[in-house]
Amino acid sequence: MATEEESTVKEPLDLIRLSLDERIYVKLRSDRELRGKLHGTEKKKIKGKKKRTQRRRNLNLSAPGAFRPPLSLLESRRRTQAYDQHLNMILGDVEEILTTVEIDDETYEEIVRTTRRTVPFLFVRGDGVILVSPPLRTA
Amino acid sequence: MSTGGVEKGSGGGGSVKTPADFLKSIRGRPVVVKLNSGVDYRGILACLDGYMNIAMEQTEEYVNGQLKNKYGDAFIRGNNVLYISTSKRTVAESG
Repeated sequence: MATEEESTVKEPLDLIRLSLDERIYVKLRSDRELRGKLHGTEKKKIKGKKKRTQRRRNLNLSAPGAFRPPLSLLESRRRTQAYDQHLNMILGDVEEILTTVEIDDETYEEIVRTTRRTVPFLFVRGDGVILVSPPLRTA
Repeated sequence: MSTGGVEKGSGGGGSVKTPADFLKSIRGRPVVVKLNSGVDYRGILACLDGYMNIAMEQTEEYVNGQLKNKYGDAFIRGNNVLYISTSKRTVAESG
């Protein structure tokens, strides 16, 4: 039954990976919604790229007491994923929509209010996330 | 089909299954996912994991029995899930 699961998508978190650098819709607790761009695939450029081969030659990690550089030097073009298994996320160009329902004491009328604000860069704690989806496209 | 809780040995087969077997067997099927907040999501289960994080397609959101939203793809965080249940969908699924 090894072929049951696709090699690319094994679990729901993989599906989010497909949405990296795309705009997404996030539903949060307390009647909040976010629409923003999920950060990902940032390529770090290292100064002095020509000297990379030299650096690698001098790197003998197995030797005792060898100089161990931080991982950022080794992984120069690492794909960064601005989300994790907790669903902490980093979103850019975010619009937050806050929905409140007020009930009039006399008329028992429901007044639905939405408050919007835009935030250029936002860290979302995964605790409050309910649902993540690519934004709805009008047919 | 009875609702509520991860079912053991429900549906067509009469054999006893563990919850893990149930989760493996319902992939690709239309399901109803109820959240702790009471919101209902109906769609086709794409995949799920041990935390009950769910990925679904053709998802419809029902609040108080009323259709509120439709999502092409939806990922639901597992801690919000109250139960996952299979359903016979009466709405025709568009490819």
